[in-house]
Amino acid sequence: MNAPLLACGGLTMRFDGLVALDGLDIEVDKGETVGLVGPNGSGKTTFFNVVTGLYKPSAGSVRLDARDLFAKPPQVIGRAGVARTFQRSRLMLDQSVFDNIVVGALCRLDLGLFTNLFRRRRWRDELSGMVDHARALAHRFNPAIADRLFQPAGSFAMIDRRRIEICRALIGAPRLLLLDEPSAGMTHDETRQLMDDLLAFRQEMPDLAVILVEHEMDVIRRVSDRCVVLNFGRKIFEGSFDALIANSDVQTAYLGVSQ
Amino acid sequence: MSSIPSPIPVLSPLRMQRHPRVVVVLTVVLLFAGGGLMMHAESQIQVLGLLAAFLVTFAIADRTPLGQEIAAMCGDYGGFANGVAFVCALGLIAVFHGEHYTLLVLATVALFSTACIALNLQLAFAGMANFAGAAFFVLGSYTAAVLTAYSWIPHPLILIVSGLVTGAIGVILLLPVLRTRGHYAALVTIAFGLLLRSLLEVNDTLGGPQGMKIKGFSVFGLDFNRMSSIGSWDVSFYLPYAVLSISIFAVAFTLIRCIERSWIGIALDTVRCDETAASVFGLSIARWKVVAFLIGNAVIGVAGALYGMMNGFVTPNGSGLGDSLLMLSIIVLGGLGNFWGAVVAAMVILVIPEKLQAIQEFRLLIFALLVLAILLFRPSGILPRPTRDLSRFIGPPGADA
Amino acid sequence: MDPGIIVQYLFNGLMLGVIYAMIAVGFSLFFGVLDVIKFSHGDVVTVGAFSSLGAAGLAGGLVTLPPVLALASGIAAAVTIGALVGVIIGRVLVLPLRHAPGVNVLLATLMAGTVLREAIRLGVPNGGNPKPFPALLPGGTIKAGSFSVGIDSVMILVAGLLLVLGTHLLITRTRFGLAIRAVAQDGEVARLSGIDFQAVVLGAFALGSALAAFAGCMLGLYYHEINFNMGVLLGVIGFASAVVGGLGSMLGPIIGGFLFAGVQTLVVVALPISSAYKDVIAFAAIIILIAVFPTGLIAERRSERV
Repeated sequence: MNAPLLACGGLTMRFDGLVALDGLDIEVDKGETVGLVGPNGSGKTTFFNVVTGLYKPSAGSVRLDARDLFAKPPQVIGRAGVARTFQRSRLMLDQSVFDNIVVGALCRLDLGLFTNLFRRRRWRDELSGMVDHARALAHRFNPAIADRLFQPAGSFAMIDRRRIEICRALIGAPRLLLLDEPSAGMTHDETRQLMDDLLAFRQEMPDLAVILVEHEMDVIRRVSDRCVVLNFGRKIFEGSFDALIANSDVQTAYLGVSQ
Repeated sequence: MSSIPSPIPVLSPLRMQRHPRVVVVLTVVLLFAGGGLMMHAESQIQVLGLLAAFLVTFAIADRTPLGQEIAAMCGDYGGFANGVAFVCALGLIAVFHGEHYTLLVLATVALFSTACIALNLQLAFAGMANFAGAAFFVLGSYTAAVLTAYSWIPHPLILIVSGLVTGAIGVILLLPVLRTRGHYAALVTIAFGLLLRSLLEVNDTLGGPQGMKIKGFSVFGLDFNRMSSIGSWDVSFYLPYAVLSISIFAVAFTLIRCIERSWIGIALDTVRCDETAASVFGLSIARWKVVAFLIGNAVIGVAGALYGMMNGFVTPNGSGLGDSLLMLSIIVLGGLGNFWGAVVAAMVILVIPEKLQAIQEFRLLIFALLVLAILLFRPSGILPRPTRDLSRFIGPPGADA
Repeated sequence: MDPGIIVQYLFNGLMLGVIYAMIAVGFSLFFGVLDVIKFSHGDVVTVGAFSSLGAAGLAGGLVTLPPVLALASGIAAAVTIGALVGVIIGRVLVLPLRHAPGVNVLLATLMAGTVLREAIRLGVPNGGNPKPFPALLPGGTIKAGSFSVGIDSVMILVAGLLLVLGTHLLITRTRFGLAIRAVAQDGEVARLSGIDFQAVVLGAFALGSALAAFAGCMLGLYYHEINFNMGVLLGVIGFASAVVGGLGSMLGPIIGGFLFAGVQTLVVVALPISSAYKDVIAFAAIIILIAVFPTGLIAERRSERV
């Protein structure tokens, strides 16, 4: 039995009096896609923020492979191979698509003042490589983005901006990808397109582990290998999608207790 | 493109497309000629006339298809245009070789534009508000004063050391507020500017309110202040200062442009736009803020040092909050992130009030209102920041901008 | 040291503290409701001072008024014009710019402050020089041992303290204060609960600005002299007091104000340096205190949706 890629044990997050995460145990294996669902306020985004280091957890443990990532700064966690997208689109709309995408790989590039100023030929080689990489990545999601790689990101529609965000998360070759409601603000058709894209690149990056937060059950059903349900910061269910649908605790959490 | 009607037959779009470099040269020469005339003008009517001419030119460039196309051409051939600009500046210096005042104005505009480009690095690229720009500028002058008076460091090195000292002081100031929200850093820079000015006025170590004298610049035995002729030409002693000033401007321009068009530029923009995303993708917010602040203030210090040496003295006057706000007004007016815009705005804010006696008294009021208008109605300023297009760098070598 | 002198210094310090506190409360209010720093606030103090000078002088010029009425008209003018200026700046500058990057509002309000300053310098005859302020309060002194203080000074101090207390009560005990606190906590939700967002915000601006204008009046009565530059320093120290005390809280700015006044007074008393260094000390104190308390004594509340 292989050790899991991500192992969170007893993860607890307290904000003053509010307990947002309550002794959460979650594991994700290499190559797995886990769907994370739960009613609003159940702690899904908080979980992402804790794993990526934006919040300092109150108790528990977070390990990526053997590496302890508990309460580490977000920069350390990012460099260790954890990437994410955000619920609210966070792109630099005035900057070009390429500039936005390459942000995901910046920490692995040569950011020294000397190279960037005086060894321009070497920098140009690095640039060339990254442009090819970004173009190939964007092409997989939408060739139109790849064609207009140096146009401002703001000139694209919402679905393309989401794709650009995903490219940004992927370009650094992460080991764990956290997708926070990628379908928010999109129509059913757009969502289906996006999910097709996701499934396609999944095949090319078989070792990548993905945790997907979604409200659209259709997406969860198509894309995830396993589902985890949160309620009030606690895990109330873990298993296959079909089992999730049938589970009464989950129904209660979403719909309330039936009289 | 060929279907755009042109009001001036000889400037037909097809002709222009075939000779883009000629168009660029003509445009730059025209602009510099106008600028030179403005710096040299003495009567208020001339100045008002030139100002009107510039406004008309700007309106044409902004609103008409022909103007927009010429502007786009200058952007596409940016590196070439910058080179032509440098030559034109040298040309202006040659034309006005004997004119003390004109050359002094030219050098002043060049040095303040240098400082404003540095402010652009801090504010437009890294998002850091520096309300002590004038204080750092004067600090550079004082450092040069102390070093020329009490050490035997060669003057070119003094410029560099002044820059380093100014940069270091800026970083020390910034360290405590690195991890806090923007308005704390703003307050610290405001307080520092006021502190420096008060201290310099109250304490007599550095001359008190009278300030200090500064020796003129000299290098390899050539004393700038003693220069009065080149060959058979009579020249003003401000000529070598003007040449050095525009050279420093060119170096700062290239340096900060290179920074913008590199991985560092993208890192700075990311830190400015979204600290959360930047940190999640592995960028150290503190590091990039320090880099921008350090380099920016160092450049300001160098410009201030030469300015002091050129004028021969430095006083606490000119380091106050109003002066720092004036510098920020220049970059807001010119367009945040646009270097040539800053030059144009520097001309407007520094030169015009000197020439138009009538509005001297109302200078601060007018500029404050102008900046307010810009912030409310045209926040991107006269010239918007050009979108960074790194695709220019890929391809045959020599396509560098 | 002569106890009389010590008490004198103490009194001065208290006076300064009240003034700083009144200005700092305004900064905190503005930040609380809109998350903005309104740098023109210091110059509203100047506006208040000159308005009261103008009104008292005007009233005194038209009719021979007993000082009490001149004083009343001066205060009324200061508070009204000050509040009006605050509301106008809020409506025309701050509200439209509140979604732009924070530095735009900073710069815009700094410029607005410059406009106020220059308008006063250019508009008031001989505005560039300090102007004498009439003594409108009853003369006479209170003596206790070697310590003597003018009755007018006591009145000013008491008035200031009462106003600060009154503002605190207004914020904590009235419906308007409740609305302000609701908007400060979450503007969106407050709007949804039926609160008129714009009215409350502008009301908060009016309140803060009125306080500052009154402080300007107080300064004129205490020092018998005002000048067009007086707001710059006070604005910076007031802002610093609010920051150190804790932006967004009511108590914080008051503590901050007295803290700064205390530091200034103590250093001038304790160290053998001339009072010309008073300002230098203030600015150095600002930098040091911010370095030590970067988020304020009472930490700024801030949440951002990630």
